Amino acid sequence: MKRDHQETIGGAGNSMANKAESSSSSMATGKGKLWVEDDQDAGGMDELLAVLGYKIKSSEMADVAQKLEQLEMVLGSEDGISHLASDTVHYNPSDLSGWVQSMLSELNNLPSTDLDSSTLLSNNQDSNPSTMTSLDFPINSQSKAFVDDSEYDLRAIPGVAAYPQREFDKSNERKRMKLTLVGSNTAPTLAVNSIQSSNSSCTPSSPQAIMAVSGTLSEPTRPVVLIDSQETGVCLVHTLLACAEAIQQENLKLADALFKHIGVLAASQVGAMRKVATYFAEALARRIYKIFPQDHCLDSSYSDALEMHFYETCPYLKFAHFTANQAILEAFANASRVHVIDFGLKQGMQWPALMQALALRPGGPPAFRLTGIGPPQPDNTDALQQVGWKLAQLAQTIGVEFEFRGFVASSLADLEAEMLDLRPPEVEAVAVNSVFELHRLLDRPGGIDKVLGSIKAMRPKIVTIVEQEANHNGPVFLDRFTEALHYYSSLFDSLEGSGVTPTSQDLVMSELYLGRQICNVVACEGADRVERHETLARWRTRFDSAGFNPVHLGSNAFKQASMLLALFAGGDGYRVEENNGCLMLGWHTRPLIATSAWQLAAEDSRLR
Amino acid sequence: MEDNVKEKRPKFCINDHVDILLEILKRLDGRSLCVSACVCRLWCTIARNDSLWEHLCFRHVSPPPSSGVRPVVVALGGYKRLYMVCVRPVLRRLGRLRLAGDSDRVRRVWTRDEVQLSLSLFCVDYYERLGRLGGGGDASGSSLMFLCKPVNV
Repeated sequence: MKRDHQETIGGAGNSMANKAESSSSSMATGKGKLWVEDDQDAGGMDELLAVLGYKIKSSEMADVAQKLEQLEMVLGSEDGISHLASDTVHYNPSDLSGWVQSMLSELNNLPSTDLDSSTLLSNNQDSNPSTMTSLDFPINSQSKAFVDDSEYDLRAIPGVAAYPQREFDKSNERKRMKLTLVGSNTAPTLAVNSIQSSNSSCTPSSPQAIMAVSGTLSEPTRPVVLIDSQETGVCLVHTLLACAEAIQQENLKLADALFKHIGVLAASQVGAMRKVATYFAEALARRIYKIFPQDHCLDSSYSDALEMHFYETCPYLKFAHFTANQAILEAFANASRVHVIDFGLKQGMQWPALMQALALRPGGPPAFRLTGIGPPQPDNTDALQQVGWKLAQLAQTIGVEFEFRGFVASSLADLEAEMLDLRPPEVEAVAVNSVFELHRLLDRPGGIDKVLGSIKAMRPKIVTIVEQEANHNGPVFLDRFTEALHYYSSLFDSLEGSGVTPTSQDLVMSELYLGRQICNVVACEGADRVERHETLARWRTRFDSAGFNPVHLGSNAFKQASMLLALFAGGDGYRVEENNGCLMLGWHTRPLIATSAWQLAAEDSRLR
Repeated sequence: MEDNVKEKRPKFCINDHVDILLEILKRLDGRSLCVSACVCRLWCTIARNDSLWEHLCFRHVSPPPSSGVRPVVVALGGYKRLYMVCVRPVLRRLGRLRLAGDSDRVRRVWTRDEVQLSLSLFCVDYYERLGRLGGGGDASGSSLMFLCKPVNV
C-alpha cells in the first residue's frame, strides 16, 4: 500500500528542491527492482534520472537512496547543520552519489544516534495543512517487517504499560520523507491520512518548531507520547481503533484502559482532531459503561436548534435543499397545482427558496400545497403548525396560493398514502422530499420497504432523497466505527476550514449536532441507533428494486450548487461531484452527502 | 457691472434638478450610492428610492427580469435590502474568484444564475426574520451570516 502511495506521488518537490524529488523516484526504483531493470542499460547510468540531470549508476541506486534519506532527515533537524546544505561546495551536482557522499562525510563527526533518530516535526494543524502529505519510509529491513499496515497492532499489547515503550520504538525505527503535493486533493486531517496508510501524516510546509529527538533518545524509558503531537495524533487514532476492537471482542477491561489513554492523547491535540477524538471517546465511554443517551424523540426542539446552527455554519444542508428544490422545480414545470410532501419538516428551511422560485416562474406561480411530517413533541406543542404558519405568511407576501397540513408520526413507517388526502395526478403534481430521514428506517427489516411502498402509492412526479454518503450500518461494530471516524473527521475538518471563528456559538452548536450523531452511531444499538447511514450505491439498489427510475439532476442544479459553495469561506475545500445523475458534496476528496432524484418506473406510472 | 455678470449667469444647483440627479445616481455603484446618501437630506431621500437600487441590481442582467419580480422583492424587503444583504456579497465573492486582479471592485456584469441565487437567499433571509419576529428560536443566528464573514480566498 505504501508503494502505491509513493509511486503515484513521486516527482513532487520540497524545500530541499530537487534532491528529494530525485530521491523519491530513486526510492521508488530502489524498492521496485523490476521497474529499474526495465530502464537501465547494462552497467550504465539510470536513464530516468539522467533525464532529470542526475548521473547515478543504477547499481548504486539503492545505496544512494538510503544515504539521501539519512541526509534529508538529518538536515531537517534543528541541530544547526542545515547550514551545511549551503556551505558545502559541490563541483559536480549531477553526480548525485558523489554529492551524497561528501555531505555525509561532513556529518560523520556527529553522533550516530542522530542519524538513526527520526525527525519528528511538530504538527501544527492550523497552518495550511491542505497542501502537504508526508509518507513514512522505513528504510532498514527490520522496520520493513515491523511496519504493519493494520491499525490493530496494539491488540497484542497486554495492558497499557507496554504501550508507550513500543510506541517509542516505532518512532525510533521509522524515517520520514517529506513530499509536497502541490494543490493536493488528499484530505488534510491527521486522522484520515493515518487511517488510510498508518504511516502517513501531515506536516507543515515550513519546519516550525522541529523537535529533535536527541533529548528523548538519551533516556529511552521516558514516554515520548506528549512531545510530538503529530506522533500522538497517529497514536490517538490507533488507540481509538484498538479500544473499539476491544469492545467488539467484549474485552471491556482493556477497552477501559485504552479509553483512559485516549483522554491523555486527545488533550495534546488541537483543532478538529481533538474535537473528533473527544466525541468518539465519549461515545466509546457510553458504550463501555453502558450509559446510553436519552431517547432521541424527546428532544426534537433541541436538535432542531442545533440543526439550525449547522445550517448556518456549513453548506451541507443548503446544498441539500437547493439541489432537491431544483429537481422539484424542474419536475413541476408545467403543473398548475403542486403538492410537496416533506418527510422531515423541522423548521421548513427548504421551502422559502422553492416558493420564491415558483413565484417567479414564467407563467405565474402554481397553487402550492405542503404536507409536513414531524415527530411527536414532548410538550404537545404543535411545532408543525407554527412552521406552517410562517410559511403561509411568506407565501402571502410573495403571492403564492398556499395550503399546509402537518402530520405527526413517530416513524415514517406509520404513514399511509390515504392519510394524506392526495388528489389525482391530473389535478396536482406530487413531490416527495426526504432530507436525512430515510436512513432511520433501516433498524428493522421491512420498515424501508413499507415506506417505499407508501411513496409509490402517493404517485409522485418526483422523489428527492438526500442522504449521508457513508456506510455506518454494517453488521460489524468495528467497521462502523472506522467508517464513522473517517467520515466525521472530514466533516469536522470542513467545519474548521469554514472560516468561522473558533469560539463562536454557531461552530460549537454545529459540532454538538454532529457529536450527537457520532454518539448514536457508536454507542447505541437496536432501535435506538437511528443514524444508519448508507452509501448512495446501496440506496440506488434499493430504489431500483422497489420500482423507481433515476432522474438526472441537471446542470442547473450543478451550477447553483457550485455557486453556493463558492460563497462559503473555505469554498475551495468543498467539491461538488456529479455521479451518474446524482450530485455529491464532499470535502476535498471525500464525498459526504449525496442528492438523488427518482420517479416511478414506467409500468407503475399512469398519466405521464 | 459685476452685478450684471452675476445675474446673467444663473447659479446652478443640482438639487433643483432632481431628475438629472436621479440619472446620475442611477449610474453609480453600490458603495458610491451609499456615500451619496450621506451628502444632504435631499440626497438621502433620493438615494433611498428603491428604484435606484432596482436599477443597480438588475442593470447588467440581460434579458431583464420579468415584471413579476418586483412585487416579490418589494414584499420581501425591497431592492436596497436585496442588494446589501445578498447581491453585493454574492457578487463580491463570486467576482473575486473569477477575476484574479481587480478584486476591490464588485463585478459589474453578472449572470441570471447569480441573481437567482441572490433572490433565493433573500427569501430565506426574510423567512428567518419572520421566525425571529415571531419569537420562535434564538435571535442570534442568520443563515446569511456566512455572506458577511470575510472570505479567505
